[in-house]
Amino acid sequence: MNNPTIRNWLGFSTLALMLASLFMVFDYVPPDAEMGIAQLIFYFHVPLAWVAFASFGLVAIAGIFYLWLGDQLWDDLGYAAAETGMVFCTLMIVAGSIWAKPIWGTWWTWDSRLTMTFILWLMYGGYLMLRASADDTPQVARFGAVIGIVAALDVPIVIVSVRMWRTIHPAVLVTKQGTHGLEDPRMIWTLMVCLAAFTALWAWLLMLRFTQLRTRSRMGRLSSRIAFATAAASDPK
Amino acid sequence: MSGFAAVLRKDLRLELRSGESTLALLALSMLVLVVLVFALGAARVRSVDAAAGALWVAMVFAGMLGANRALLAERDNGAIRGLLLSPLDPSTLYAAKLCAALIFMAVAEVGAVILMVLFFNLDFDASMARLAPILALGAVGFSALATLLSAITGRTRGGDMLLPILAVPIFVPALIAGVKASAAALAGAPFESMGDWLKIMIAFDVLFVSAGYLLFEHVVGGD
Repeated sequence: MNNPTIRNWLGFSTLALMLASLFMVFDYVPPDAEMGIAQLIFYFHVPLAWVAFASFGLVAIAGIFYLWLGDQLWDDLGYAAAETGMVFCTLMIVAGSIWAKPIWGTWWTWDSRLTMTFILWLMYGGYLMLRASADDTPQVARFGAVIGIVAALDVPIVIVSVRMWRTIHPAVLVTKQGTHGLEDPRMIWTLMVCLAAFTALWAWLLMLRFTQLRTRSRMGRLSSRIAFATAAASDPK
Repeated sequence: MSGFAAVLRKDLRLELRSGESTLALLALSMLVLVVLVFALGAARVRSVDAAAGALWVAMVFAGMLGANRALLAERDNGAIRGLLLSPLDPSTLYAAKLCAALIFMAVAEVGAVILMVLFFNLDFDASMARLAPILALGAVGFSALATLLSAITGRTRGGDMLLPILAVPIFVPALIAGVKASAAALAGAPFESMGDWLKIMIAFDVLFVSAGYLLFEHVVGGD
């Protein structure tokens, strides 16, 4: 994970894939017959959603491994995943909102999926606020791990409750198209390339942040060792 | 088991002598209900939906305050360190703290329900009996979550602010289910009609009581 060559290759492939996805979205793929140009947001929105949920899953997995093994590596991974996940989740909500304005006629509606995403966003916002309001000690790493696990445990109940809440309250939105009707093979290809591009971007950002956090942990260990050695050397006994 | 009883007895005795937590919980519940009566306006005050919503808002905000206070008592003079140094299992400590929080919350909720009936022009009738188990389930889930999270936020800077930020989003499923079931109960619906909401609340309670029981050790131990 700390290998700069892999990181650089990942960076360059992200660039290539991003350029390819831009070309495909704006030139190659035919816009949807009903929704027109707004539908093109879909090719960014879905990959953003996938990486956002994947990183929140990673936060919980890293939390479990941190509590189990106690290796600082897992905490650094979880923290990096929470930060990147938050960025992608915010972008997903913003992109979806821009799409919803012309299609549903509103920026926001309390649809079950939107509500679920928003609650998830709030939970991980809380996680990041906790990390920001405390120094990086093993204690705070454990707190982060516990919050990550508890939040992930909550997700299934949130999904069920929010879905029931919606079905009992009638929908405000006009119509949600039944399927995303990707009848044209070019649409599927574009989606695939966009998924690959955003996954690469996510992996690259995650790796950069993770490497940075690893370096910081190492420096913390080194400085405490230096302080210990200095104290031992100046001790007259 | 004796350790559990000892901690619980200590918390209850402290509360009986000072009355701090329950009194603060009751006062805040009352204020939230008053604010909501004014915010909603006289016209909507007659609806059971508004009453159920107001009751749960009061419960969440009062519960948050109660959880912060309970921890403050332990943090002053480093009492929590003493508890952790004692040969008491952290999970047992969690269970005792959870029971104490639950008892204070139950007392405050009885008060909040009485105030709700008075402020929202409802009647003391059979619907109160149906409301009781719903509120009990909500209180168990909330106390389980708040007891675990307040142990975290109590040891960070700005912890009192952090607790609602962490707890409210996680509590959302139980909140949705609780408000819906309470409104149905107040409207006189039979128990069977709210079965799905009750199932969500039971699932939430089971999940967070066990999560708290298992994870509390990682929150308090180790340093």
